[in-house]
Amino acid sequence: MGVDFGGLIEKRKINLEDLQGKSLVVDGYNALYQFLAIIRGKMGEPLTDRSGRVTSHLSGLFYRTANMMERGIQLAYVFDGQPPAMKEIEIKRRMKIKEDALIQYDDAIKRGALDEAKKFAQMTSKLKDDMVEDAKTLLNLLGIPWIQAPSEGEAQASHVVCKNDSWAVVSQDYDSFLFGATRLVRNLNITGRRKLPGKNVYVEIEPEIVELRKIIDDLKLTREQLIDLAILLGTDYNPGGFKGVGPKTALKLIREHGDLLKAVETMKESPNIDDLFKIRELFLNPKVTDDYELKWRKPDPEAIVAFLVNDRDFSEVRVRSAIERVSRGWEKSSGATLESFFGS
Amino acid sequence: MFKAVVQDAKIWKNLLTAISTLIEEADFNTSEDGLKLRSMDPSHVAMVDFEWSKEAFEEYVCDKPTNIRVNITTMLKLLRRSKSEESLEISYDEERKKVDLTLRGKILKKFTMPTLESVEEEVPTPKLSFNARVKLMSETLKEIVEDSETVSDNISFKAKEDKLFVKASSELSNVGMELSKTDGALLELDIKEDSDATFNLNYFGEMVKAGSATSEVATIEFSTNMPIRLEFEMSQQGKLMYYLAPRIEAE
Repeated sequence: MGVDFGGLIEKRKINLEDLQGKSLVVDGYNALYQFLAIIRGKMGEPLTDRSGRVTSHLSGLFYRTANMMERGIQLAYVFDGQPPAMKEIEIKRRMKIKEDALIQYDDAIKRGALDEAKKFAQMTSKLKDDMVEDAKTLLNLLGIPWIQAPSEGEAQASHVVCKNDSWAVVSQDYDSFLFGATRLVRNLNITGRRKLPGKNVYVEIEPEIVELRKIIDDLKLTREQLIDLAILLGTDYNPGGFKGVGPKTALKLIREHGDLLKAVETMKESPNIDDLFKIRELFLNPKVTDDYELKWRKPDPEAIVAFLVNDRDFSEVRVRSAIERVSRGWEKSSGATLESFFGS
Repeated sequence: MFKAVVQDAKIWKNLLTAISTLIEEADFNTSEDGLKLRSMDPSHVAMVDFEWSKEAFEEYVCDKPTNIRVNITTMLKLLRRSKSEESLEISYDEERKKVDLTLRGKILKKFTMPTLESVEEEVPTPKLSFNARVKLMSETLKEIVEDSETVSDNISFKAKEDKLFVKASSELSNVGMELSKTDGALLELDIKEDSDATFNLNYFGEMVKAGSATSEVATIEFSTNMPIRLEFEMSQQGKLMYYLAPRIEAE
């Protein structure tokens, strides 16, 4: 879920074309969840192959990635490792939401309320280990590098961007800024025409970019203060945050008092100070690894067909046409850009 | 205001075709001296650099420098309607933000198309020095490209002593060619240093085929593992140049 900064953060709409030639590191779990939620049939059921295995995540990963690669965007993926112990409450909360949604889904199906059922179905998405393995297999065949994060995927992705090995993090959540990422691209995996949940209204979703520099300038905060602000609002490590504190109040508190602890002193709630320190620490010094290599290899068309078409019942025509686009993209991005030769 | 007349609409159609092989939309920079267009393809692997001085036009009026951004594909679609022996007038109406294309033949036809918001796009100035320079007939270059395309997606040039060696190879087959001045295949050959570089044929082939329609003579310039420059000379005062980044085989 991540921190909700509300209206505090300004986003800038961009075109996919603006990302040409850029390398982006995608929060893999975040992307796969989006695919599982969005790519569903009429009754809200996920796509499956003939033996009943879910394939929504593979479909999203494959066709979206093909779109990106065709445009000469270089993607890398990061997958979550062991979550920090402090995330337990949040994880349980999410599980509860899914369980409740499943009950409501069954109920809606019984009543024949398909629209409602679809809404609840999206909330039941569970990312299982074998789905993540599927995704890694497909990425390998596509020649796209992926990194296994020791802990939080977003922390690792932010680390890669901080080290300048990649241009921006791709995620829907803003947490990467707390982990120090300089740039975030949102909506990349859901760009296009989307139906609003629960309504019969369609909107055009465009990718947008957010920059840490701009947030810090606009809010006149340091990165540490931004973390403190997030803790007041609630993060994955303290879901819900402080009672009655919304984005505007939180910003006012941090600006007035300088940091979280001084702000907390003025409040009625008396949280465990040690825990607050630990949360801060999780953002400032997350567990990450330098043991990765971002190297793009040539896609393997026949192996992709074998996996998606023969094994998972994808349409061969569509898969082959997407492979065509992937290969073109690879050809493009494997040649160095002209700029790298100019002015030398 | 901006207004330019080209005596033969076909010339302009060919030039636009050549530009459109790389880019979909671009800024025409117009000034008192003439018209320029320089733009990179979306993946930044190739660039087109196009210039037409005012003398190359039948008539040319430009009272202040203006950037006119258009969709090249759209413009080309309209120009495809042109016939031989029709003249073309391009004019820009700043107020309406529209470009008018007037074809004068048996029928006077006026097409109007929208312009696009100009984007401040930094197109770098290529600073490159080339160690090999080869001048040849466009037809010859086209033949080399087409021969290479039968076996590979890449084309390699090697300039050594008094010859230009061309090579294209795939896993199964390959083709090798030798061209020299003495055999009459080349018009000029200057080699400062032995040079050897490989390029993506999808790009290079398109450039050569589209460019050949604009000029009978072509010049290629390259250095080892550096970008290639492909120039098509115009009889009038204009030039069409392409740059393409080399393929450097990793592993």
